[in-house]
Amino acid sequence: MDNIAGQNQGSKLAVNITVIILVLLWLLPTIGLFVSSFRDRDQISNSGWWQAPLAVDLNFRTRVAADNPREEGGSFILEGNVFADPALASSFPDATGTVSAYGTRAVAPGEFAAGEVSDLRAGGTAVVNSDGSYRIETPEALDRGPTIYFEARTPPKFTLANYRTVLFADGMDRAFINTLTVTIPATIIPILIAAFAAYALAWMDFPGRGLLIAAVVGLLVVPLQLALVPLLSLHTHIGIGQSFLGIWLAHTGFGLPLAVYLLRNYMVGLPRDIIESAKVDGATDFQIFVRIILPLSFPALASFAIFQFLWTWNDLLVAKVFLPSGSDSQVMTVKIADDLLGSRGGDWGILATAAFVSIAVPLVVFFTMQRYLVRGLLAGSVK
Amino acid sequence: MSPVFQGMLTIIIGVGGCVGYFYFSNMLLDKVIFPAKGPNTGRNINRANQVRPWLFLFPAMFALGLYLAYPVVGSFWRSLFDRSGANFIGLGNYIDLFSEGTFRTAVINNLLWVLFVPAMATFLGLLVAQLTDRLSWGNIAKSLIFMPMAISFVGASLIWKFVYSANPDIGIINSIRDAMGLAVLDPLQVRFWNNFFLMFILVWIQTGFAMVILSAALRGIPEETIEAAIIDGANPFQVFFKIKVPQIMGTIVVVWTTITILVLKVFDIVYTMTGGNFGTHILPSYMMTYMFRDDGRATAVAFVIMLLVLPVMIWNIRQARNEMR
Amino acid sequence: MKSRFYASAAVLALVASGATAQDLIFAPGEGAFTWDSYNAFAESVDLSGQTIEITGPWTGNEREKVDNVLAYFEAATGATVNYSGSDSFEQDIVISTRAGSAPNLAVFPQPGLAADMAAQGLLTPLAEGTADFVRENYAAGQSWVDLGTYADPDGNDQLYGLFYRVDLKSLVWYSPDAFDEMGYDIPETMEELKALTEQIVEDGGTPWCIGLGSGAATGWPATDWVEDMMLRLHEPEVYDDWVTNDLPFDDPAVIEAIDAFGWFVRNDDFVQGGAEAAATTDFRDSPAGLFQIPPSCYMHRQASFIPAFFPEGTEVGQDVDFFYFPAFEERDLGRPVLGAGTLFAITNPSEGAEAMIEFLKLPIAHELWMAQAGFLTAHAGVNLETYASDSERAQGEILADATTFRFDASDLMPGEIGAGAFWTGMVDFVTGADADDVARAIQSRWDAMR
Repeated sequence: MDNIAGQNQGSKLAVNITVIILVLLWLLPTIGLFVSSFRDRDQISNSGWWQAPLAVDLNFRTRVAADNPREEGGSFILEGNVFADPALASSFPDATGTVSAYGTRAVAPGEFAAGEVSDLRAGGTAVVNSDGSYRIETPEALDRGPTIYFEARTPPKFTLANYRTVLFADGMDRAFINTLTVTIPATIIPILIAAFAAYALAWMDFPGRGLLIAAVVGLLVVPLQLALVPLLSLHTHIGIGQSFLGIWLAHTGFGLPLAVYLLRNYMVGLPRDIIESAKVDGATDFQIFVRIILPLSFPALASFAIFQFLWTWNDLLVAKVFLPSGSDSQVMTVKIADDLLGSRGGDWGILATAAFVSIAVPLVVFFTMQRYLVRGLLAGSVK
Repeated sequence: MSPVFQGMLTIIIGVGGCVGYFYFSNMLLDKVIFPAKGPNTGRNINRANQVRPWLFLFPAMFALGLYLAYPVVGSFWRSLFDRSGANFIGLGNYIDLFSEGTFRTAVINNLLWVLFVPAMATFLGLLVAQLTDRLSWGNIAKSLIFMPMAISFVGASLIWKFVYSANPDIGIINSIRDAMGLAVLDPLQVRFWNNFFLMFILVWIQTGFAMVILSAALRGIPEETIEAAIIDGANPFQVFFKIKVPQIMGTIVVVWTTITILVLKVFDIVYTMTGGNFGTHILPSYMMTYMFRDDGRATAVAFVIMLLVLPVMIWNIRQARNEMR
Repeated sequence: MKSRFYASAAVLALVASGATAQDLIFAPGEGAFTWDSYNAFAESVDLSGQTIEITGPWTGNEREKVDNVLAYFEAATGATVNYSGSDSFEQDIVISTRAGSAPNLAVFPQPGLAADMAAQGLLTPLAEGTADFVRENYAAGQSWVDLGTYADPDGNDQLYGLFYRVDLKSLVWYSPDAFDEMGYDIPETMEELKALTEQIVEDGGTPWCIGLGSGAATGWPATDWVEDMMLRLHEPEVYDDWVTNDLPFDDPAVIEAIDAFGWFVRNDDFVQGGAEAAATTDFRDSPAGLFQIPPSCYMHRQASFIPAFFPEGTEVGQDVDFFYFPAFEERDLGRPVLGAGTLFAITNPSEGAEAMIEFLKLPIAHELWMAQAGFLTAHAGVNLETYASDSERAQGEILADATTFRFDASDLMPGEIGAGAFWTGMVDFVTGADADDVARAIQSRWDAMR
């Protein structure tokens, strides 16, 4: 069966290259997110994530303290080291570095080379050496120290601070538990209900079966936005209101048509003789379903479970409508959209991290259940 | 009470309740109402078998009816009333909608989404499925391409901000343009094409879904048919398009339909990326601007969404009917 | 394994909630705070075992501050207060009141939305005497009573909202260092501001950082510009008519204001990244340009809350400062000031909710946030010494010097306009649409509402 992919070396290479390009294209945005999740806000807005592994030249500012000038020969001298500024400690933790250029105006932060003596606008001179030490000489004592700008090379820096913030400080733990509380029942209940219905539609004979199948397929395309408003009123009316119970029921209802549709497709394809011989042996439908159909349909059930899990895990709309807005019941998508994207809109690092954290669990689920997927869903419809 | 405990309790009650319902209702039917013993054994078994399908179907039908069929009817009714819900205005909401420019843009955009996203995702999925089929590292490639499936739409929007941002220090497109000496431009403000940039995010997510299912289908094709074709001198493209694709047509259609359905529900991408500005509204996001402010309008928009997919729906019902025969 | 995880998660949650309740950031009895009223309140109110739910628009950093304030309420009463903030508060509160799961109190950034909800009977009027309290204890008390008074479902006016926290909108933020180094003076009139804008371009700089992005609320910062322009071009009465739509949105007066905003924003030389970038730059990112080296812009017009989004470690007054967004000298309209504010309203009455309103009447409730910075108040009984910085005291002075104070119009208009068509209209305008067309589209949306 070595067709397309195996004609000759040339086409094999072409296939490999095409796939590599596609994979890279698919991966690139995620890599950007991943790298950014280890950078702090200032780094992200100063250089692209693709430059993260490189050392970059950045501009810094430091305000020279004007107190206690040394008087020397009629002029006042301020001395110190720019790297000692506590405000820059995050960039230069050991208070050392190399200044390549400096300036006294923000518009030209690299106006003078390190070591070059420059004139201050207010009178006097300033010099910053490459080791960061500076000397400012003014004819009169200054009441406000001048601001020095300098250019220094900063090594690549990665931080776990974002992960700490997201995982421990912001109530994300609660959101994580809430998401699990929503997704697990919302995955299991519809599958169970759908499996029975699918069996009835596939293997039991009764009047109106065709009509019901048509109805299920028809309901497949009902946009769920349509259901939100009336259902919320209904839930309020019968006293469920906005609650976990409400969202489970809603996810069950919305997930059912696809579950029934896919599971029926699969079950129809199961070998007829097994079921019929079981019937001849006197097994009831319930026994056939539990002992034969369920084990045989396991790949299909598992794959639908994965998809339903992914959908409910990543759902924003249903959660916004059917769950109360309070932090007690916020799920992760709502937390990210309303809380993180909102208050920390400028903090890309935190956002990237939050997105990564929310991806982690689905990925684990996917990788552990992957093999069912491959056999899964549609064995029935491939006829 | 801790939500963890609550959650576990409800899982047990919910799942246990479901299992219990099926188990005990069957038992009730077989042992109490129509016992398979005594003088009427034969008749009872027949009767029980007539009732049983409905036992199996009842929970699903009830949930479907309540959560999908009833809202369809209910919202249609609601869409005929004004914002307060007190005055019947017939098709007034629809007429108002169609006279609004943003709405017309949203309809057109939505049509583009419905046409482009499923087609593109299915096509790319099929391509990847076929190309990785015989590759030694095929499974790794597939896993990587599937990864976006696991990402929420909100997370995905965030990821793509790192691509589309107008700031060359954040957005990779603009950094490349910047490096090439081109002027910085905001991809999300390029009229018309910005829709496709947004659509591509969904394609990026859904290709993995299409790929996984189609690759399973491709593997299910009996080898003899392919070998026969190769012996007859068919080239790889002929094998692919004339032998393989027709055999998995059923699966392609299911994938296509599933993605189409998804497209009609996705408002998140537009909502977080552009807020519907720059002519990128689609109906689901447009509906959000009315939701809980003017229910009459909001439900009317939902109905237009439904009308848009009516062809897909009818076609699917036909398909199911054909299967039955 | 699983159960162990759950158990440790539960312990974690317990520890976390226990910690916040105990942490009072300012030791009781110390500092310039008005502790007397607090102690009296603590003695008279006991709500042990009760829980009070509050929903509001404050998230992140601001949420921490409000939590700090509420911790004092908890300490005084023994009640548990759960505050939750949401960026889409406007939707969430409507959904939850409809679903019957409303919090006890909601913090409305938009009186318009509160008025809507009051008319539907979803709010509970505040206790009698609250109006008199506000009238007597708030600066310009009557106007704050008016802004919190809406018609109930029967059409009777009642006081529903107590203002807690005022934002001053007519501020321009700048870097004193940058101005100093370039020799720029703080403009006293709009004419000077425009001249300065052109001067900066001449010097090779970019004068303005403007960002309208805000997710689904993209466009709102532009509405503030237009409102400020309305107040600087026309009499306050024109503004009031505009808010109620007695003056149509497409009136030449409004279009003039939109175009006046356009003078600044629609000139690629004036705005960092060009006019187009303004539409998608997130408003929280937009002030960053002030702090870059070299500065990518020199001025940023934004409300008093914006320091929350400045880079970490920024000191207002030293690294960044503000001046009053000046008025046109030629128009002679005095010193109009645009502001906004958040109001507490009771969405689900309970003893605790009433007590919370009483607590918010105490000067200390205001002082506790004032001391954490980023908070202005109209409460006249507060000790001004508790302001976190001189600059915030100076903002208080701008409020006091105002010849005209008007509330943010978009917050007073009906949601579909003020939190919908006006926003998107402004985005269209900034990205090239005609002011006339935009104004007409917004007016037609307003017409379609009836």
